[in-house]
Amino acid sequence: MPATLRLSASLKILLEMNDEITVQAGSSVRETISLHGIKPELVALVSVNGVMQTKDYIIQEKDEIRLLAVVGGG
Amino acid sequence: MNGYGGNILRVNLTEGRITKEPTPADVARDFIGGRGFGIYFLLKEVPKGADPLGPENKLIISSGPISGMLVPGGGKCDWTTKAPLTGGYASASMGGHFTAEMRYAGVDSIILEGLSPKPVYLFIDNDKIELRDASDLWGKNTIAVEKKFKDQYGEEYQVAVIGPGGENLVSYAHINHDYGRQAGRGGVGAVMGSKKVKAIVIHGTKSIPVANKEAYRNAGMALYKACKDAEGLEEWTKYGTTIVVSWCDEVGALPTRNFSAGSFEGGKNLYGPVMREKIVITDKGCFGCPCPCGKYSRNKKYNSYVEGPEYETIGLLGSNLGIDDIEVVAQANLLCDDLGIDTISAGNAIAWAMECYEKGILTKEDTDGLDLTFGNVEATFTVIEKIARKEGLGALLAQGVKLAAQKVGKGSEKFAIHVKGMEQSAYATHNATAMLLAYMTCDVGAHHNRAWAITYDLQVGRDKVVPEKVARVIWLQNFRPMFDVLGGCRLQWVELGIDRDLYVPALEAITGIHRSWEELDKVGARIWTLTRLFWARENEGFGRAWDMPSPRFYEEAPTSGATKDQITKVEDVNKLLDMYYEQRGWNSNGLPTDETIESLGLKAMVAL
Repeated sequence: MPATLRLSASLKILLEMNDEITVQAGSSVRETISLHGIKPELVALVSVNGVMQTKDYIIQEKDEIRLLAVVGGG
Repeated sequence: MNGYGGNILRVNLTEGRITKEPTPADVARDFIGGRGFGIYFLLKEVPKGADPLGPENKLIISSGPISGMLVPGGGKCDWTTKAPLTGGYASASMGGHFTAEMRYAGVDSIILEGLSPKPVYLFIDNDKIELRDASDLWGKNTIAVEKKFKDQYGEEYQVAVIGPGGENLVSYAHINHDYGRQAGRGGVGAVMGSKKVKAIVIHGTKSIPVANKEAYRNAGMALYKACKDAEGLEEWTKYGTTIVVSWCDEVGALPTRNFSAGSFEGGKNLYGPVMREKIVITDKGCFGCPCPCGKYSRNKKYNSYVEGPEYETIGLLGSNLGIDDIEVVAQANLLCDDLGIDTISAGNAIAWAMECYEKGILTKEDTDGLDLTFGNVEATFTVIEKIARKEGLGALLAQGVKLAAQKVGKGSEKFAIHVKGMEQSAYATHNATAMLLAYMTCDVGAHHNRAWAITYDLQVGRDKVVPEKVARVIWLQNFRPMFDVLGGCRLQWVELGIDRDLYVPALEAITGIHRSWEELDKVGARIWTLTRLFWARENEGFGRAWDMPSPRFYEEAPTSGATKDQITKVEDVNKLLDMYYEQRGWNSNGLPTDETIESLGLKAMVAL
């Protein structure tokens, strides 16, 4: 069962990508997003099943992962 | 007039005279509101060469057509004046609930002019408008005064108040509201203090006429739905601007020890989740906000409560001072709020003094005996108090880092972190050329809120100096401040990513005038150009040299962190300016050309 990776609206706009990507378990968030053409340094926050994690978190099956960029800066 | 309270409230403090004038329809058409009204009245009414703290300067407080309306984030008002900190244009945006009450009292702008002979506060309850004696409040801190007014008049009355910082004319004194929101930058609080206005207390119950009620309701609900459905709403609401702390630390943008680096070894103790876990007790938003970024905190270490700290304060009163304890930062935040000084400028001033001390430029004789090393918590608290009261070292630092460094000399000018005299907000820009340009060309000085372009730097290459980056900065500078014109908050667009086109039908339904974003961006460009012309009018020799950043960003690479050994070359700094001026239609000295002024339809304004 793959995991789901969702992009915040701000990140979706920035990258001009779809807001949902299906990814495989077993690799880190950092490696996985790099493979999908997302520079890890553009991602400010990784939320996995509602809990904030680092980009080194290893993706598990059925994980729901949300990525947020910071584009506004307050 | 649809979408407006309909009145400009003029308060002549010298004569104690209060008058109302109809809001001019042509000004509403051309400048819309908020900071658009601000620059219009500033250019028209404040004479060239006015002393920022003298009777000729004015403090212009303006709401916009979406303020107090069924539009997410319609809780912003603009405070425009000639800045004591810089001698140029100041426009400070304040959230909270003040602007909604302005609108419900039928007021689009309040213009404070002249100087009162004694401390007063301005009391507004619909059409009952009076200057009342504030002698017994002079000298008191902001929170006590706001609470007093809330107890006296009721919770529905909104209060904007200065503290000792404003009374003592600290060049970066702010105006506090709702116990933790501020009109923060440029010294607007000092202007209010110079006029001896301790506070404005306001409440209204009037309706705001709208052009099309049904369309207004539908457009407003569409905006709220977009916010509610936005991916990231949950995280944004949970952490607010503190989301950015860990990211800035990771990419080398977190100001550390007076911007000598962009990553902090103690940064992890300041990250959003740590703060949320340790001190945050609830979320706190402005009027009509569906995604409250304010975090209200209980600080057990100091037995205190504070709204915040938000990112800028964590950066400037935390890592930039070498402080790695979120409770200490929260307490420093509270001191600044209560005493009435801007956390961004104060953090810069103290960091500059700490660097001077560590380099032997300042000694204990200069610091009133304080051991002003980075990370010294007690010294930090003491210096904040001294700044607000202009005592000892505080009197030097209260002038801002530009003037303080000019007085101290000995090479300290090179690490005074400012542009045009305004201290830089919390993004280290050693190798982020778009963000550096945004600071260099910001219309109030080194502030981030007009164009925040650092993500764009990471996306296209940090050190690239290309026309596309310059175009991005200009687009942001024209567009983002439009929220300060409309009287709303930009965070729903910038952080939740809602479609900006959703604002168009809302604005049309409220005002009855259709304005596309293309048209609004043009209004933004006109206002931007006028602010530049104000700088040039008020400062002899104004031009390119004023846009240069601190040499720290082009002469001295960090020795640690994510931007170790990285720097922007000075020739690239100049190349950025060349491209920027060309794209803006300005000459090589950074002044708008006659053709540009003509093409933007500003000839009549320039003649003022």
